[in-house]
Amino acid sequence: MLSRPLTLPLALLLAAALVITLFPVFWIVMTAIKPPTDWNAAPAVWLPSEPTLVNFRTLFDPTALKAYGLSGVSQPATPSMLGSILASVVATALSILIGLFAAIGLSRYATMTKATPLMILSGRMFPPAAIAVPFVIIFSVTNVIDTYSGLIAIYVAVTLPFSTWMLKSFIDDLPREIEEAAMLDGRSRLMAHLTVTIPLVRGGLFATTMFIFILNWSEFMFALVLSYTNVTTIPVQLAKYVTATAGTLYGVQAALAVLAMLPLVIGGFMIQSHLARGMTFGAVKR
Amino acid sequence: MNAMNPITTPALALDRLGKTFRGVAALDDVSFTVPKGALTVVLGAAGAGKTTLLRAIAGLERPDAGAIHIGDKDAAGREPRDRDVAMIFDNLALYPDKTGFDNIANPLRIRGMEKGVIEAAVKDIAARLKIAHILNRKPKTMSGGERQRVALGRALVRTPALFLLDEPLSSLDAQLRIELRAELRRLQRSLGYTFLMATPDFAEAMAIADTVIMLRAGKVVQIADPQTLYDEPADREVARFVGAPEINLVPAEIGPGGGVRLAGGLLPLPEKFLPLLAPEARAIEVGIRPEDLALAPVEGAALSGVVTDIEPLGASVAISVEAGGVEFRLVVPVAATASITPGLAVGLSVETGRMHAFDPQTGVRLA
Repeated sequence: MLSRPLTLPLALLLAAALVITLFPVFWIVMTAIKPPTDWNAAPAVWLPSEPTLVNFRTLFDPTALKAYGLSGVSQPATPSMLGSILASVVATALSILIGLFAAIGLSRYATMTKATPLMILSGRMFPPAAIAVPFVIIFSVTNVIDTYSGLIAIYVAVTLPFSTWMLKSFIDDLPREIEEAAMLDGRSRLMAHLTVTIPLVRGGLFATTMFIFILNWSEFMFALVLSYTNVTTIPVQLAKYVTATAGTLYGVQAALAVLAMLPLVIGGFMIQSHLARGMTFGAVKR
Repeated sequence: MNAMNPITTPALALDRLGKTFRGVAALDDVSFTVPKGALTVVLGAAGAGKTTLLRAIAGLERPDAGAIHIGDKDAAGREPRDRDVAMIFDNLALYPDKTGFDNIANPLRIRGMEKGVIEAAVKDIAARLKIAHILNRKPKTMSGGERQRVALGRALVRTPALFLLDEPLSSLDAQLRIELRAELRRLQRSLGYTFLMATPDFAEAMAIADTVIMLRAGKVVQIADPQTLYDEPADREVARFVGAPEINLVPAEIGPGGGVRLAGGLLPLPEKFLPLLAPEARAIEVGIRPEDLALAPVEGAALSGVVTDIEPLGASVAISVEAGGVEFRLVVPVAATASITPGLAVGLSVETGRMHAFDPQTGVRLA
């Protein structure tokens, strides 16, 4: 599968890249199983002397750290996990669903003007911070602040340009004649897209879904400013593990971060086989 | 409108079809009919509008002007599936995730036909196309010729009023192309199907067409049977497109007293040029097919020149001769060329009765 032979310099380069990429992951996982005394010990503790699951227990039972003489964590992380799952799954599904049909329209039917795709993308060309405050005001006035439907609406709006553009590029790569053949074989336009276009871009569909899910899953700013008490997500919860007496609870933060990484890792492995290229090989003459 | 006679209603009738892409006319005032059971070829260079034409008929492209009748039904506003046509795309467009069998069976399955009927129909067409052995394979493991046959099978498994074939043989090796086009022709005849086929290859058109529609820059230039297209091209460009090696085009002059002056020689005025005779000398462009020229002894020859190049074609030889500042190409049997070498002075004789006269400005054929 290698496109070129693995020479020594290349191997060293790859090893260096791996270390740089994986070291933070290693450190997070280690911190998650360190007892409080090891969290920010100097010199640094690389491998915990006494691995413990107390950090994970604290996520669900805020009193668990009392055994180490630490207190002040007031709420469990469970609501934030459920909140993250709800907001990310629903927002991703809507973003992909709308983006997919928008992409088919833009790719196949010269919808509106030639500038339309760019106009859609330009929705992402200013920093989210610039629209955060206006949205706080709008959401307060319309009473959707601190609701999941409000947060989901924002997530869909923010990710839709990405999902539309990514999916459009995958559909552009698919020869339109394949779905047209289905139309001549007897399918309506809609059914040709549902039975031919969409199954043939499923690799791109999975990749885009993963990408949009990661955006939503790790979103912090909107979740922070558009929520008070009802709505909470993992990134917001992460910032809450600070106590007056003991400072930041690094181990607990790390434990939550590890749990937050899990769905992405599992999802990544699951879609890996669908990301292979050349799914349409043989369909058309080259 | 008028009541159509079911026997003489053409399979397809186009009336002043027009289509513009970003200000460029892809189809311009295209009108023609395709009779039932005939093989009609749309011939034209790349970009002539062949694919746009077929796509418009299939309902994949909406024309800006004109009408399409398939059988006696106006196709306007009807989706591709409601037009009773099958199409073979120039890139084949097989379903990459389906086996050969499933590719061919697809149109029948969509129509909800019974499993047994579908299986029988697919096996029958696969046998005709000699692909019974690859029905379990996916397109990516098939050869180019096998994919081509599966694409044909997917169209031929149904019996629509009209088959549209967009350069169906273009990607195949020369040998296979010739073999498959003969099979295609046989199949079309034996089943009585109506084919409208696009190709840029004049030899393919000559070989299988009942009627050729010559398309250029979106316009119909000529509609004729292949032999007529070759013998009586509408204009200089058709004459050049149809035939290989290309027709010789030579500036000439018809004298007031008769006789055609070209390339430093004087040829007798052929009978069909008589209407061009004028009180004053008239400039024309003469077209001479390579096979209408022959080598002749230098003495007494109408044209004389020097051999510049010899190109073996197998059974015959293409010879280039420069005469009177004009480069002529002629095709002669191998047997007649034993002693010919570049630099040799030769005479040329011309089959004057088969010469064409074109208007030097417009290119229109005058005689």
